[in-house]
Amino acid sequence: MELFTDTITAVRGFIDRAAPQRSWVADHTPAWPKGGPRNIVLKEDLGLELGSPEKESISCLLWTEDLARVTDGRITLVGPDFPETLGRSLPFGKVVLVGVDGFNEDNAYDRHKDMDFLRYNLDLKGFMLRAVSQFMREWCRISTAALRDGFSARILGSALMALFRCQPFVRAVEIIYITSSTGDVGRLKEITAPAERIVAAMNKMAGEMDFECETCDYQAVCDDAAELKAMRDKLMQKKKEATHA
Amino acid sequence: MLKTKIVALCGKGGVGKTSIAALMVKLLSQKNNRKILAIDADPAMGLATALGITVRKTVDDIRKDLIARIQNGRPQDKQETARQLDYEIFEALASGDGYALLAIGRPEDEGCFCRVNSLLKDIIVDLAGKFDIVLIDGEAGVEQINRRVMKTVDHLVLVSDTSAKGIGVANTIALVAGDKKAVDFHSIGLVLNRVRNGAEAHEISTRTELEIYGWLGDDEAIRDFDFRGAPLTEIPETSPTLGIVADILKKMDIIE
Repeated sequence: MELFTDTITAVRGFIDRAAPQRSWVADHTPAWPKGGPRNIVLKEDLGLELGSPEKESISCLLWTEDLARVTDGRITLVGPDFPETLGRSLPFGKVVLVGVDGFNEDNAYDRHKDMDFLRYNLDLKGFMLRAVSQFMREWCRISTAALRDGFSARILGSALMALFRCQPFVRAVEIIYITSSTGDVGRLKEITAPAERIVAAMNKMAGEMDFECETCDYQAVCDDAAELKAMRDKLMQKKKEATHA
Repeated sequence: MLKTKIVALCGKGGVGKTSIAALMVKLLSQKNNRKILAIDADPAMGLATALGITVRKTVDDIRKDLIARIQNGRPQDKQETARQLDYEIFEALASGDGYALLAIGRPEDEGCFCRVNSLLKDIIVDLAGKFDIVLIDGEAGVEQINRRVMKTVDHLVLVSDTSAKGIGVANTIALVAGDKKAVDFHSIGLVLNRVRNGAEAHEISTRTELEIYGWLGDDEAIRDFDFRGAPLTEIPETSPTLGIVADILKKMDIIE
């Protein structure tokens, strides 16, 4: 099942042209101390803020069953790395590309949600994250102490990848971060807008009891994606069965 | 890791609980390596003013936005809604010198949005757990603390001036709180404000069964700060009132 092919191609094209950029191979056993239950980064401890409500922010999760489209274990950063930006507040872009297996109209939505929620399980000392999936915004704070200890895009990416690898249906993970400029993050936001519409359409389907396609805001999105139509048909069937049960 | 200590101040309006709360925040924020959360649960939002902080967003603003979204028919997945509220509440946290402040805002509009209120309370409780000390400046009644902030506090501090009405309200709050249905607490006590002298404080102590945590005299410096609208966090360290508030915090085992 494929929903994000065009967006993945567009993201890949954008990143390939972006400069300067650096790439690392993820550390498969990332060793950063855990934050614990009181891991909150307040203004007085703040070393770097990424994608705050005052700044441009985009966080996008894209999956594909075509594993050739994902460079497993690669972390790419466009812009300055975290320890180079002490005391700043930067726009933030993030794309997680996941190579998956066995997605169909029955499980795609739940699996997408499961993967989307993985970021909340990050437990890294001096790192804090708040996100609104609906608007694809992600707001991170990194403490001064963590930056001084070398907390970097590679460490964050490796920790996030480790969480994805625990999912039985994940075959490959690649992460792209952008900290370069509001323009770059804004461009990424435009490129990933079709994916946002697809996810919004899935959310609406899952949240609704009846399907009035003629009056639905996302009719055009579903019309463009046969897989979404199949998901909708499956959900309608499930809800019909539940009503008659 | 030590458990979060939660202190809530209640009492009749105008008895000086917000000034006392502001002085407590000043003292607590001077303790290094402790994360302090002040919660302004009074609709008048006097604590923010007393601390010299501008509040851009309140919990009630967040609540109203969410209710509007629900009423507009936008589907809301519960888990996702909780994450979004968590984001917005963190956005609403104002930063002071060594502490964070969350303003609850005005009371709810009419209508029942129990699920929204309950979700917000859960998020506030979760947020509070990330701090070492939480200080809540409440309204007169303890029910509002429970309804709008949280059910369980460690220390319930009732504040009163020397008026019979003020002491009566404190006694009534203690009575209501007694069965711990309104608010669950581990200790309860009274702070007397604007007391003339020790004899008056002693006389008042005979009119209540509450433990007296301490008493404060009428302080010209605080009156002057209030008059000028100056933040009480700027009150000199030599202030005798500040010293007494420190003793009250020591009595409650909040500071050493």
